[in-house]
Amino acid sequence: MEHQHSIAPFGGIGLGLRRTHYEDFLETDVPVDFVEVISENYMIEGGKQLRILEEVRAKHPVILHGVSMSIGSAGGLDSDHLGKLKLLEQRIDPLWVSDHLCWTRTSAHNSHDLLPMPLTEEALSAVCANIDHAQNALGRAMLFENPSSYLTFPEDEMSEWEFLSEMTRRTGCYLLLDVNNIYVSARNHGFSADDYLAGLPLDRVRQIHLAGHDPATKERPVIIDTHDRAVVDGVWDLYAKAIAMLPQPVATMIERDEDIPPLPELLTELDRARGIANEAMVPA
Amino acid sequence: MGDQTLAKRQAAFLRSVLDESAPLPEGWGNSQTVGMSVYRGNYRSALVGALESTFERTARYVGEGPFKQVSAHHAIAHPPSGWTIEEAGAGFDATCAELFANNPEVAELAWLEWAMLKVSRAPDIQPFGATEFGEATAEFGDKDWMGLKLEFQPRAEAREVKANLSGLWSALEEGADGDRPASLLDQPKGCIVSREGELPTFQMVTPEAAHAFDAMQKGAAYGEAIMLLAGENPDAEKIQQAAVQAGGMLGEWLNEGLIVGVRA
Repeated sequence: MEHQHSIAPFGGIGLGLRRTHYEDFLETDVPVDFVEVISENYMIEGGKQLRILEEVRAKHPVILHGVSMSIGSAGGLDSDHLGKLKLLEQRIDPLWVSDHLCWTRTSAHNSHDLLPMPLTEEALSAVCANIDHAQNALGRAMLFENPSSYLTFPEDEMSEWEFLSEMTRRTGCYLLLDVNNIYVSARNHGFSADDYLAGLPLDRVRQIHLAGHDPATKERPVIIDTHDRAVVDGVWDLYAKAIAMLPQPVATMIERDEDIPPLPELLTELDRARGIANEAMVPA
Repeated sequence: MGDQTLAKRQAAFLRSVLDESAPLPEGWGNSQTVGMSVYRGNYRSALVGALESTFERTARYVGEGPFKQVSAHHAIAHPPSGWTIEEAGAGFDATCAELFANNPEVAELAWLEWAMLKVSRAPDIQPFGATEFGEATAEFGDKDWMGLKLEFQPRAEAREVKANLSGLWSALEEGADGDRPASLLDQPKGCIVSREGELPTFQMVTPEAAHAFDAMQKGAAYGEAIMLLAGENPDAEKIQQAAVQAGGMLGEWLNEGLIVGVRA
């Protein structure tokens, strides 16, 4: 752990920037405290998309959220990916840089999906070595998000919250708590979402994701994290619990990647998050 | 680099994601089988979605069902290896050429969409104006002109085509509901893909202009481009005509903002 950077808490309500809403963000004052972008969409050499991000950055703090770092890959990180992320980070000066606790590729192929980690000491060591590499290359601490998962491994040696706790302890990284992912994985694997929250080092949480999911069916008995619909009440309830437990303010946002509604609809949904966050901050 | 056991487990997992007929890892039960079916579905839908997004006109042209088939074939034959999912579109024109062998316009439309995407993300470089070009070449003698190399906009590219790309491009725009134009041209033409400001664009040119552009984009000198235009075993008159033709192209490329630098 060579880097010495800590990430100061940032409390606010934000939104994932999607192409559908570019015009809104460029031409109006969207009432959000920050925007989050998918890093890889902007790890390009030039053109309109990058110019738009720079214009949005001039109006709002930006978080870079990656989907392709593959922090759990046994073969290490992709130096081309890391180099381009560093260039983007220098260009945008984000609030912070995040990715997922998952792996996406081997040396041969890339799944472009967030594949689950076996929860073993061996996997933890690989993840921590990769996090050290990434944080040192970027010269800053990162956030890592708990994933939704659709299977667990027979060889698992610990719970996901134990894995995340040890990961933050060994590397100094922070957590992006995806409340919908906790909800989804808890139901898919039969653990308690309350135990999950209670088992995390909550002082390391800097951001919360909220999203919608596709419920389980008789034919497909797992919930899928789809980001294609409104946040369900059960996830809102879990968010309220989580935010009341956190010892510091955090950045909360809604992710929407499919069937993206007009911006006012998402802003109304964000108001609910703002209300819950404000309530949690009122002294008892 | 990492632990061998974890590496083996990840390789086996990814094999199962990519290939539905691959055996599942030892010790897996029903819950893992159910979960794997989700990852397999995610992988396929993400790739098909990425291809649909990059090749939206090609998809409209061939129709949803055939496009899903060619996308699935491409994903199986060329599983992606790059960190960006858009790279899954590399070689998609060749897959279209293979699967739509009797419809060459499909592969050419896919080539155009892929070229437009690449050029749209290229570095932003100011084009070389006529004044700058004049200053850079003011002292040129004949030998300097023959050795002149042009630097074109990054990722700009050109090729000869049989398809009526300009007609198809307009007809296949989202929301367009007019009649489809003829798919193929009476005579082959050239197509140059470039950027106008920050927007990708293309222009139909003569096949010779496309060949000359392609050759110079790949490093050929101006003199070599003239000889390319002059054809095989040219006489002095043909070389002279080719030099005039090359001069005209050079002027057009300058006017279109395609040139960003020159090297003697």
